Amino acid sequence: MPEDREVPDSPPPFLGSWRRVYAGVILYLAAVIFAAYLFARAYR
Amino acid sequence: MRALDWVVLLASLVSIIAYGLYRSRGSNTVDRYLLAGKTMPWYAMALSIMATQASAITFISTTGQSYVDGMRFVQAYFGLPLAMIVVCATVVPVFYRARVYTAYEYLENRFDAKTRALASIIFLCQRGLSAGLTIYAPAIVLSVILGWPERATTLLMGATVVTYTVIGGIKAVTWSDVQQMCVIFLGLWIALITVIVMLPHAVSFGDAVYLAGAAGRLNAVTTGFDWNDRFNIWSGLIGSTFLFLSYFGCDQSQVQRYLTGRSIAESRLSLLFNAVAKIPMQFFVLFIGAMVFVFYVFVEPPVLFQHTELARIAVASEYRGVENQYHEAFAQRRDAALALAEAHRSGDGAGHAQRLADFRRAQQALDGARAGAARLVEAQGGEKGFNDTNYIFLSFVTRYLPAGIVGLVIAVIMAATMSASSGEINSLATVTVVDIYRRHFRRGASDHHYVTASRWATLFWGAYAVVFAGWGKKLGSLIVAVNVVGSLFYGSLLGCFVVAFAFRRVGGTAVFLGMLAGEAAIFWAFLWGGISYLWYNVIGCVVVVGVALALTWMAPGVFARSGAEDRGGEKS
Repeated sequence: MPEDREVPDSPPPFLGSWRRVYAGVILYLAAVIFAAYLFARAYR
Repeated sequence: MRALDWVVLLASLVSIIAYGLYRSRGSNTVDRYLLAGKTMPWYAMALSIMATQASAITFISTTGQSYVDGMRFVQAYFGLPLAMIVVCATVVPVFYRARVYTAYEYLENRFDAKTRALASIIFLCQRGLSAGLTIYAPAIVLSVILGWPERATTLLMGATVVTYTVIGGIKAVTWSDVQQMCVIFLGLWIALITVIVMLPHAVSFGDAVYLAGAAGRLNAVTTGFDWNDRFNIWSGLIGSTFLFLSYFGCDQSQVQRYLTGRSIAESRLSLLFNAVAKIPMQFFVLFIGAMVFVFYVFVEPPVLFQHTELARIAVASEYRGVENQYHEAFAQRRDAALALAEAHRSGDGAGHAQRLADFRRAQQALDGARAGAARLVEAQGGEKGFNDTNYIFLSFVTRYLPAGIVGLVIAVIMAATMSASSGEINSLATVTVVDIYRRHFRRGASDHHYVTASRWATLFWGAYAVVFAGWGKKLGSLIVAVNVVGSLFYGSLLGCFVVAFAFRRVGGTAVFLGMLAGEAAIFWAFLWGGISYLWYNVIGCVVVVGVALALTWMAPGVFARSGAEDRGGEKS
């Protein structure tokens, strides 16, 4: 079987750390759902 | 199709395939043929991941889904960004460090050979069925356009896909996907603009959006909870998170794509691009379907969008009554829509409520007439549970789009299918060769031998997919069918990987039995539970984890990993 090896885990090209990128994606998801909710409400 | 359409179609397809094959030069080792030598940049992987999901089904079925049921299907993607974050944070680095070709190869490292074999077999069953559906979708296109039987067009598409995949390997698949997505975005915008331009002069874009909303076609978010309701915000956020965790964390057709990356960071970026872009894209496609619905409010659509079934019932004596009812309901709906749009524009609050009720009543009458025609199909010996959702968008494209644009849209649909299907078949071949053949039947053979075996496996799975595609029309809306088939198997796979990553003491036999119990629970829910499919993933995962933990707790001497294994991490 293949063995584990050291693979460099480099930081993202923006926001400084992967945690911040993930937090940004969650905020984005909340905004998208809220926008879709307002859209559906406005045209129901 | 006119001459210009054929020129655009052939030129698009030939250039995409030729470019993909050109970029796949030198794919003559297992590492290059199956993992592109780990040289792919993030944007190529990102578009390839997106293209695999956005197959022809996205165009054909999602637009039809929106036409008949509104935009609430978009909620099925709300869990995707959450799943992507979990996969990026946990799965991607583990697979990279384990240097695996397949996700299931890791399971032997963590558990044992039988768990790896069971996971591989579950994947092969599930993805083999889905690959059939992926081929069936464009076969409908050719069938509608050329008037050929679906069986013949399925065979034609399948043969093309298999030839392309056998020659190209994953590098060809990925680079052709990049081109496909560019063409897909172009085609989507052109389709939307064309629909809006073709609305009657008296109907503005604002009116069209308002009418779609009045008919319940813009119901993008529904907050009520119901186990039987396929699409609401709860099943979207919870159920689809599990579905996409399974899809991107345990399904080799996706795992193989981000394993081709140059680094962990590049693979993460490719997944997070999809986390951000996928919901707007699905929203956009569904919105096109809603606009097609509004177009058909003013231009009478056929009673049924599947012309062969329409021709079958047209000779029946009862059809005349259904047709008259349909004509009458259409005229009432059109007039009610114009009056409603006028009342909305003028701000006539008192008249507005009455006109809205008139419009919705006329819509119900029209739906009733269509349902009557569908019943007539069954009465005349047609398929049970007749459903023409998949024909709606194609019918619109071929009847109303201008020359050249029809060819482009058809090219997009066919090229997307060829790419998505080739990716699936490629991953099926990879698992067959790496996890089954090389592991259990022929160890230590030459690189050339395994590349040849991969090509033969590709041929086998292509044939399998074509045979299964013959069942496609019995499964209703294709986009839903694909997700239902996936959900029958994904929950158990996900549970297995959750145990692998989160519960270090659980051994291989416990998780193996857990997976069998998980599959039993999912099939119980599917056959007798009356539960929406998005929840199967949750059920399967919870049962696998629960059974594996319970067995380990009850009989640690039998089911727990030994202390040495536990301290040392994975087995070597």
